[in-house]
Amino acid sequence: MKYFIQHIESISHQNTFQQDNIWDELKPLEGENALISPDYKLYIPVAALRRLSTILRMGIAASKVCQEKTPLEFDAISVGTSLGCLTDTEKFLTTINTVSGDILSPTAFIQSTHNTISGQISLDLKNHAYNMTHTQNALSFEVALMDGLLCIDEGKKSVLVGATDEAIPFLERLRGTLIETKSPFTTGATFSVISPTKGNSVAHIIGCEIFFSSEGTEQLINQFLTKHALTLENIDLVLEAGNTLVKRVQKHLSFITYSGYYQSASSFALHLANDWFKSYSNTKNILIVNNLESNKLGLTLLSRNEVEA
Amino acid sequence: MRIYVTGYGVISSIGENVEETLLGLQSEKSGIKQGEKVYTERFKVGEIRWTNDQLIERFQLTQQASRTAILGMIAAKEAFKGHTLSPDVRTGLISGTSVGGMDVSELAYKDFLNGEQDDLNTYRNHPSGTTSEQIARELGVSGYVNTISTACSSAANSIMLGARMLLSGQLDRVVVGGTDGLSQFTISGFRSLMIFDDEWCRPFDESRKGLNLGEGAGFLVLETEKTLQKTGKTPLALLSGWCNASDAYHQTASSPEGLGATLSMRGALEQAGLQPSDIDYINAHGTATPNNDLSESHGIKAVFGNTIPPFSSTKAYTGHTLAASGGIEAVFALLALQKGALLPNLNFRNPIEETQLIPVKNYSEGNAITHILSNSFGFGGNNSTIILSKV
Repeated sequence: MKYFIQHIESISHQNTFQQDNIWDELKPLEGENALISPDYKLYIPVAALRRLSTILRMGIAASKVCQEKTPLEFDAISVGTSLGCLTDTEKFLTTINTVSGDILSPTAFIQSTHNTISGQISLDLKNHAYNMTHTQNALSFEVALMDGLLCIDEGKKSVLVGATDEAIPFLERLRGTLIETKSPFTTGATFSVISPTKGNSVAHIIGCEIFFSSEGTEQLINQFLTKHALTLENIDLVLEAGNTLVKRVQKHLSFITYSGYYQSASSFALHLANDWFKSYSNTKNILIVNNLESNKLGLTLLSRNEVEA
Repeated sequence: MRIYVTGYGVISSIGENVEETLLGLQSEKSGIKQGEKVYTERFKVGEIRWTNDQLIERFQLTQQASRTAILGMIAAKEAFKGHTLSPDVRTGLISGTSVGGMDVSELAYKDFLNGEQDDLNTYRNHPSGTTSEQIARELGVSGYVNTISTACSSAANSIMLGARMLLSGQLDRVVVGGTDGLSQFTISGFRSLMIFDDEWCRPFDESRKGLNLGEGAGFLVLETEKTLQKTGKTPLALLSGWCNASDAYHQTASSPEGLGATLSMRGALEQAGLQPSDIDYINAHGTATPNNDLSESHGIKAVFGNTIPPFSSTKAYTGHTLAASGGIEAVFALLALQKGALLPNLNFRNPIEETQLIPVKNYSEGNAITHILSNSFGFGGNNSTIILSKV
């Protein structure tokens, strides 16, 4: 089975939303880059907009564009998020510890649960289909994608797969103790439409797998690629969270360099991969290696669509 | 290909294991009472009386963790008891939770807000995904681990995803369910929504005012036919149907006509290849909020027409255990299948005027029960139904 990427949208700290090819303006991220927010009024009614946190706004706007750009109504929605709606979670935690009395505003609580994102998308699109929210730390995107691919196996025709996380200043306190990274903490959302037919897509996903193992990354990659009758030599570009494979492969980029650090940033790598195929016509296979967290590995393999004679 | 249940485990305010739970259901006694913790003492809750440390000691757990993870470990361990790990049986774990390790992180965060030194290590237990990783570690499961977070339908969705992973051949066996520990965050959240009943909750009753919260965990072990040949386990029941659908009506409220509920019940029946008349008992979501029970009643009527099978909500036993409810109630359904039991809807007096549905009022055994339909509905209009059947 091939899983074609019909459309993909990212909101990030770079100019990536509603772009034909995000590589056109992409640069390694500097610490001072801020999130580039679209004009949300174009996508969300103003009355609703006021109550929505960044992560909800990003999810709705990106999904809306994905739906507008593809012909079929989504017959499944699968969203991954590692820490979910952090802004509203923190807001409600602060409220319950500082506001006395019995009357608390419920908005932050309502919007703190992880599936507010996918729920708001279904509300906005009036979509009654399968609607799932996955959260598995740094593998949150991969588990959501695996569900999306499974939906295609089961006969679904147009599946929205996305992942998103938002940074809050509090995370800085955990740098170096709980979160090992030198990259800036960032906010991002990538949503894509996956289908079993080629349509206008450039590339397709061949497979996605996750591993909870202390086994060597390269060994697991080789096992994974063997299943798809490939070896590391066949991979034209490796998009890795870190840089451990840099000397082992033909072409290597760290996706965190472009996305900044958020735990579902490997979804941004899917966008990087999809648009790389547009830029480099000799690229056949791309492997996303998500080793953001130790002893956890997510692997996503993509291939360029063959040109039909 | 069929999906078999080969193990189950549960903990809630009515029992710390399957055996106690059955006794609790038979006794028609609610586990809900006045809370005993700082954050529950003003409310009626289905609370598990032990502290986290006491639970770790009682159940000989190997990890310090949040309440959600601890309760999950207890129920998952019971479900997995007698099962053995081997390389040729690829085993995964999918758990549902709404707040993950909030019960511990909220304490550290409170210290932080008060300008005191918060123990940063505490936040390690916060992510929902971490609770599942800890549960998996307790069982020795290290293959596919995933967490579903769709509020109150999380466990039902985990069960459903597990079945689909088995059918697709990605796993041979999977531990599925859900867990949620009570926290200040959750209590305050539902209080802010003003949907608590100060009295014992009364699902499907005209006088119902709202819900009582609860905590706990419920897990099943699922295997395929092929796996059974390797493991030699005796199938206890079939997971025959499942469906998730979106109500797409409101972030917290259910649509008045119960569209999402109707879609998920119909979808599960279709998946199982069953007619509505095949269902012998419905374990309803039935939170006892005015909105849910009315909406679900309309959904049930839409699907089952004039011949509605015996139905009840067991939330008056346990309180609403949120992400765990679908797992706990799946265990209730398995017990009901085994005993031919109809489970009572405690505290029911008068039917909802608009729908006039009367739930099961008393516990009885020895009924002919082959198929049970179980509903779990969550915030965000996330509606799920599973069907458990006799082998």
